[in-house]
Amino acid sequence: MSFYDTWAAILIASIAGFILVFTALVGARLLGPFARERGKGVSYECGMLPTGRNWSQVHVRYYLFAIMFLIFDVETIFIFPWAVTFLDLPGFVFWYMFVFITVLGAGLLYAWRRGVLEWR
Amino acid sequence: MRDFTLFIPEYIAAGAAIGVLALELALPRLRRDALAWATAAGAAAWLIAALFYVGDAPGDFEGLLRTDAFTAYFRILAAGAVLAVALLSARYLRDRTRAAGEYYGLLLMAGAGMTLLSAARELLTAYVALELLSFSLYVLVGYLKRDARSNEASLKYILLGAFSSAMLLYGISLLYGLTGSTTYAGVAEGLAARGEGTDLAALAAIMLIVAGVGFKVSAAPFHMWAPDAYQGAPLPVTAFLATASKAAGFALILRLFTEALAVDALEWRAAIAALAAITMTAGNLLAIQQTNLKRLLAYSSIGQAGYMLVAVAAIGYGDAAAAQNASSALLLHIAGYTLSTMALFAALVAHYNRTGDESIEGLRGLSATQPFLALVISASLFSFAGLPFFAGFATKLLLFQAGTGAGLLWLAGLGAANSFISLYYYLMVMRRMYLFDPPEGQTRIRPPALLGAMAGLLLLGVVFIGVYPGPVFEATDGAAAALFEASAAAFARLP
Repeated sequence: MSFYDTWAAILIASIAGFILVFTALVGARLLGPFARERGKGVSYECGMLPTGRNWSQVHVRYYLFAIMFLIFDVETIFIFPWAVTFLDLPGFVFWYMFVFITVLGAGLLYAWRRGVLEWR
Repeated sequence: MRDFTLFIPEYIAAGAAIGVLALELALPRLRRDALAWATAAGAAAWLIAALFYVGDAPGDFEGLLRTDAFTAYFRILAAGAVLAVALLSARYLRDRTRAAGEYYGLLLMAGAGMTLLSAARELLTAYVALELLSFSLYVLVGYLKRDARSNEASLKYILLGAFSSAMLLYGISLLYGLTGSTTYAGVAEGLAARGEGTDLAALAAIMLIVAGVGFKVSAAPFHMWAPDAYQGAPLPVTAFLATASKAAGFALILRLFTEALAVDALEWRAAIAALAAITMTAGNLLAIQQTNLKRLLAYSSIGQAGYMLVAVAAIGYGDAAAAQNASSALLLHIAGYTLSTMALFAALVAHYNRTGDESIEGLRGLSATQPFLALVISASLFSFAGLPFFAGFATKLLLFQAGTGAGLLWLAGLGAANSFISLYYYLMVMRRMYLFDPPEGQTRIRPPALLGAMAGLLLLGVVFIGVYPGPVFEATDGAAAALFEASAAAFARLP
């Protein structure tokens, strides 16, 4: 089996994927009933009518909160595989995660002291 | 083996980075230049610790990192560059920012990343080290956040840097798919033993990697970010970009191309030779029409990257001995270039702190107001151009000699022709300093003590390498020998 044969399955799967999505889109377009009216163009806000424009700006201060959230959100991705496997792995793997969490915690502490968490 | 003592100098650097951050946090009222002195002290401790590791037997960390004479060479270069840039930044940052702790912390981190990059012998380790260096630099380039140009520089650098990292990762994943290994030794083995009909995949992987590292060392046509990033960045960071960041890129190239990809030299050597030719020509021709000093230096550094790529091409075309020779010449050129650039920037920072003017026009009459700075700038530019008695002459001579030794006579000739072109725009800068009158009402003044002393010392280094390159050449020879000791297996497999 040559190098490319081993990847043929992936090629076939991607082509099949494209076909599936394509037929679904085209099928919906051909078979579904359409009714154009103004209310359908309004953005969806849990039933009530939206006020203001939908191009409103998000305050830049949210950015830092989002970053802090993201850091700890991504941390869980690393902790989950560690949590299920560290018992079978050498002892130092257990402590590596502590080092990792300590580094992130120190980062949070630093941001906290610098006043990132205050809404000023 | 899991030997944590191999990287004690880098622990010092990282510890100093955290120490600087903590210092600013604990004493917010501290004078801003106190952080620069703390950083310089940390970098000096790092440098001294690094000196203790010179001459040690090669150390190996799990096959991922290797400490040998090559690593020690770049470690000293990184520590020295961080030390110099910290001193350059002291007054510059005090005048321009309120919070400087992160600047100095990231500077130390970038230096540590550079050392790890020169030690890495595994693709993913090298990638992580490269990102440690790059991410620190993305922030440093945009550190003057009230300056629109600094923001623009950072954004462009991040976007193109992310693009180049993606290409590098594509190349790495293709290589892994081909060879089933990410260690350099394993990749070399896998490439030599790969099956029929995989040449195209290998070519794609190698070209993606060439493009990725080409971005990092700002080789044309991947140089688009460099002028904007150099111009917008704070002046000391521009010095760091031009020296340490470029040196780190070549550390990665040397390890990667002598060990992992040496067996496939046929696939990449023509591309690298073409890249070298395009880079030096484009850099030097575009530099001619610049009016901003930082942009001029950006294009001139692109030209220098072209000269350095000649050595990489020579590694591809020559046998093991010629390749080792070329690596040694490249390392020597990096040392000379770093010293010249630092001397130049010490003088430019002193000039800029006083005038705030970064145009070439702003240098006019500098020989009358600050003759010493004018002398340092001229000497560094002469060194870039490769005039005798300055570092550039000796290092470029050996570099082009290595090129001809590997049969690349045309490339060496092109390099010499380009040196003449570069002399033209360097002389235009000197013309402003020596043949024009200073602006009205300016009289002769003393250069600032610290920057003046630094410029003087670095200038001495430039002249020392130019007149008597022996000691440094021995060091680079040892480093190149260590590099080829690590990759002996890869070169033995060459057809």
